[in-house]
Amino acid sequence: MRLSGIAWRGLLARPLRTSLAVIGVALGVAIVAATMITGASADAALRGATTDLLGSADVRLRAFSDAGFTPRTVQALRAVPEVITAAPVSERRLVVHTAPGDDERVFTLQVIGVDADVEYRIRQPRLVEGVALSPDSPTDALVPATWAARQGLRLGDELRLDGRGEGVPPLRIIGLMADTGFAALDRGEVMVVSRSTLDESFTVPAPIRYLDLDLGQEPDEIAAGLEIVRGQLEEPFIVETAADASERLASAQASFGAVAFLFGLVAMVVGAFLVGNTLAMSVGERTREFGLLRAAGTTSRQVIGLVLRQGAAIGVAGSVLGILGGIALAGAMVGFLSSTRAALVAGLPLPIGGMLLAFVLGLGVTLAGAVVPALRSARLSPVAALRPSRRSGTGLGDRLRTLLVVELLVVGAGILLFPIDRAGTPLLPLVLSLALLLGGAVITAYLLEPLGRVIGRPFEWFFGAQGLLGRANLSRDRVRTGLTVGAMMIALAAVVALGTVAESARAGAERWVASILPGGNAIRSSVPLDVESFRPTFEGTDGLQVASAVLEVPAVYVTDDSQEEVSLAGIDPNVFQDAGSLIVSGADRADAYFALRNREAVLVPEAFADRHGVGVGDTITLGQPGATSANFGVAGIVDYTIPGRTPDGALIINAADARDLFGVTAASLWVMIPQADIAPSVFASAVRDTANQLAAQPLTARDLAGDLAGSLDRLVGLFDVLALIAVVIGALGIVNTLGIGISERVREIAILRSHGMTVGQVQAMVVAEAAIMGAIAGVLAIVTGLLVAFALVGGGASADLAAGVRLPWGLLVAVILVGTGVAALAGLYPARVAASLPIVRHLKQFE
Amino acid sequence: MTVILEARDLVKRYPVADGEVEALRGVSLQVNAGEFVAIMGTSGSGKSTMLHLLGGLDSPTSGEVVIDGIVISSLDEERRTLTRRDKTGFVFQFFNLIPLLSVAENVALPFLIAGDSTNRHTERVGDLLAMVGLADKADHRPDQLSAGEQQRVALARALATKPAILLADEPTGNLDYTTGAEILDLLWDSADRLGQTVVLVTHDARAAAYADRVLVVRDGQVRDEIALGRRRDHQAGPLIARLAELGL
Repeated sequence: MRLSGIAWRGLLARPLRTSLAVIGVALGVAIVAATMITGASADAALRGATTDLLGSADVRLRAFSDAGFTPRTVQALRAVPEVITAAPVSERRLVVHTAPGDDERVFTLQVIGVDADVEYRIRQPRLVEGVALSPDSPTDALVPATWAARQGLRLGDELRLDGRGEGVPPLRIIGLMADTGFAALDRGEVMVVSRSTLDESFTVPAPIRYLDLDLGQEPDEIAAGLEIVRGQLEEPFIVETAADASERLASAQASFGAVAFLFGLVAMVVGAFLVGNTLAMSVGERTREFGLLRAAGTTSRQVIGLVLRQGAAIGVAGSVLGILGGIALAGAMVGFLSSTRAALVAGLPLPIGGMLLAFVLGLGVTLAGAVVPALRSARLSPVAALRPSRRSGTGLGDRLRTLLVVELLVVGAGILLFPIDRAGTPLLPLVLSLALLLGGAVITAYLLEPLGRVIGRPFEWFFGAQGLLGRANLSRDRVRTGLTVGAMMIALAAVVALGTVAESARAGAERWVASILPGGNAIRSSVPLDVESFRPTFEGTDGLQVASAVLEVPAVYVTDDSQEEVSLAGIDPNVFQDAGSLIVSGADRADAYFALRNREAVLVPEAFADRHGVGVGDTITLGQPGATSANFGVAGIVDYTIPGRTPDGALIINAADARDLFGVTAASLWVMIPQADIAPSVFASAVRDTANQLAAQPLTARDLAGDLAGSLDRLVGLFDVLALIAVVIGALGIVNTLGIGISERVREIAILRSHGMTVGQVQAMVVAEAAIMGAIAGVLAIVTGLLVAFALVGGGASADLAAGVRLPWGLLVAVILVGTGVAALAGLYPARVAASLPIVRHLKQFE
Repeated sequence: MTVILEARDLVKRYPVADGEVEALRGVSLQVNAGEFVAIMGTSGSGKSTMLHLLGGLDSPTSGEVVIDGIVISSLDEERRTLTRRDKTGFVFQFFNLIPLLSVAENVALPFLIAGDSTNRHTERVGDLLAMVGLADKADHRPDQLSAGEQQRVALARALATKPAILLADEPTGNLDYTTGAEILDLLWDSADRLGQTVVLVTHDARAAAYADRVLVVRDGQVRDEIALGRRRDHQAGPLIARLAELGL
């Protein structure tokens, strides 16, 4: 046998521990591989969706005005020889019903109108089932297949649009679209119909938002064509390219990439703790064996080689298993994301680079974890190793320092190698989060004893002597136990952080909705409705106190050297002030409204103010392309604002300014304030009726906040699963640590048994020890997780979190219970082992 | 005299690679309440196996062990453990203290295991520590004690519940002569003053000389019984002479 044979035998002699280490690495690698595959799937979906959305169009013209392009413009462009194809796209947000009856369902969909005769020259629809639209089919509709599956709809099912005239036949689903192209928009809640269908049955035609143009093959040809088009168009417009469309779609899933990245690293960090701890324990346990080898003439290098070979074997086995597991996990993640549309994904691509990276990370983490124990074993003097009773010569600080270095290398490698620039992942909050998690794990080792004394009290009370002994066992090897608890803590802290971020986002959504929706009800029309003409219709709503039009103005922010597209929302200051709406910072709220009432004042969103360095008291210039502009005094900065076309949201002005300065007399958004004595549900029903008459969408604060919370919960649910896998890795560490602890104190357990401790009591002692470890991990996870959440929220890792942190109290309690419960479960097997130790044999064993 | 411990035709076989090895071959004995009995034999004679069976730590292949009227050898694991908890106290060669517990907590361990609050037994623990001369070290940790002191703690722990029998397996095997003698004095004292029944397993004639009666074990059987009687002096001479006569 060669010397290396000892390395393999060392692994095979401890099958449980070796298996645990391999599984630990495998789970860590699996999460990394799964997030890489899912990320690649999301990337592929984005690319595919963008390509399918623009089709063969070279440019997309977006109408600057809400009125959109006129049909005359479309005709004019089609007459231009350089324009090969001009495909108009109109949009209208509509309430859609299934066939009337007991199981009638109601949805709000973005209904997209296309010209079927030219559409397929630009875009080839990707249909999962059914057929495409044809020019002579006014009742045909296409819907996304995944959305239809979620709603239980099939080909041939009827759909009715609210607000269509009497006697108009219902639409019929003739095709189910793949999640790409139009179906990638609005989280797949879209329906594609013929533009004529969309227009003919409504009083006001749907505005043409986009014109997709095929201008030729060559760049010169396209540029020349675009110049000619610019000359032909009378309406203001914005030219969008494939990159713009891709960016628009990508921004919707930016947070997905960031959180997936964080969880990949968290899993690796927890896995590194497990592997490092396992190898350190393995070496510690075999010190006498290494002493014998050293005494027999084995060199330090040979001993290092032995330990590293073991690490490499665990790393390779774990990484290979992890890649396979990662593919399976990615399949489940992609399936989940696809079915819920929590993120846009397409297929299960296997990125070779990403898989290799996951493999290298797994192997690297294991080898890095093996280096420290290898060096320690090589430094052992044969005499010290062979001494019958030994104590660890290395202090807590030394052992933690070396492990911390390994962990920092893992995190550093992860940050360098992960594609963090994708989807604009903010790096600083992530690095800060990882630093907090690692720091928390290290502090755990130091806090283990004092916390154990406090947290162990209930267990001592419940378990009696077993609880006391279980708690006391924690301090046998503070580093080993501390790091095990630390690893578990990291995984649980990820759950806490995720839950807190989600809860804070929910709170933000609620505050946002409450802030921008005075009275809690509104009606949103896809088509601006003339204020004076339609006011009687709105005011006819039962129980209404005031109907207040919000005049939305597409505009530009003018500086000396540039213009930037912005959205303006003209409000009635009295209505918003009386309802307590808009959270104003940087100025007194009453003063801000006073200024707004006095005209030519503006409240700017915080993001806009930050980006442009605009403060209260400054004057900014707002205008419309080709028209006059006006100066506005900044009267306040708002925490939340009415959504606009730009990510910042709308700048708030007085509705009178929107009318007088920008000539806007129609509104798409109407705030509906109820009378004081009307029940909310009754008023909501009345608003729904009015919206129905106008083919518009009723909005309630509760529904809006619920929609936001629902989509967030789906994504959080997915990441909770990943975090729980990390918790499982942590639990494996507990099994490992308890197993080693039991093997070290078999004689002590035999003594307890000889003094009358029953099998059940021995089991309870080990389970109590595990449960206390889990409870400590849970408590520390709350502190660390909340700090991580503060880092993520404060660092702006999610755009929805400007309002700060709201604590998910239920989750915090659940984390302690889950930590305690999972750890107790992890303790069951070691407990069985401890209880089944033969007393007589171990009474003779010399430690 | 009341018989407190009885073994009836004990047989113990262990499976080995090529069959079985018979460690005990039909051992029968009786120990009276308050008696100090030594079981002597050379290494591998079966004396420790006998002690494990007598204390209920192990089950015989056949035969019976009766402690204080309870046939412990026929009980299931759980009930045997509880009987062991109530009726026996053990002292082993290696002191076997729980390193995480203080001296007093180690002595109170049988109460803790029984689910009692240690507070209820403070006086008893104090008395025992005073008896073994460690009253001033109640709060020390085991690793702060000498080997002899650790064994004295182990003895105090074994006596804590006033067991029917105290079983000591080579309690001086890991101690120097003087310290070992102190432990043996304490064992004898517990039998003489407290009426504690003591069964001592040893290969050392000087230790066995403390006993009232010595059972000589060889090849898994009790080969001889030497009655020494209760004596204040523990001279080993007469015992050694008798053992020599037996060719041991």
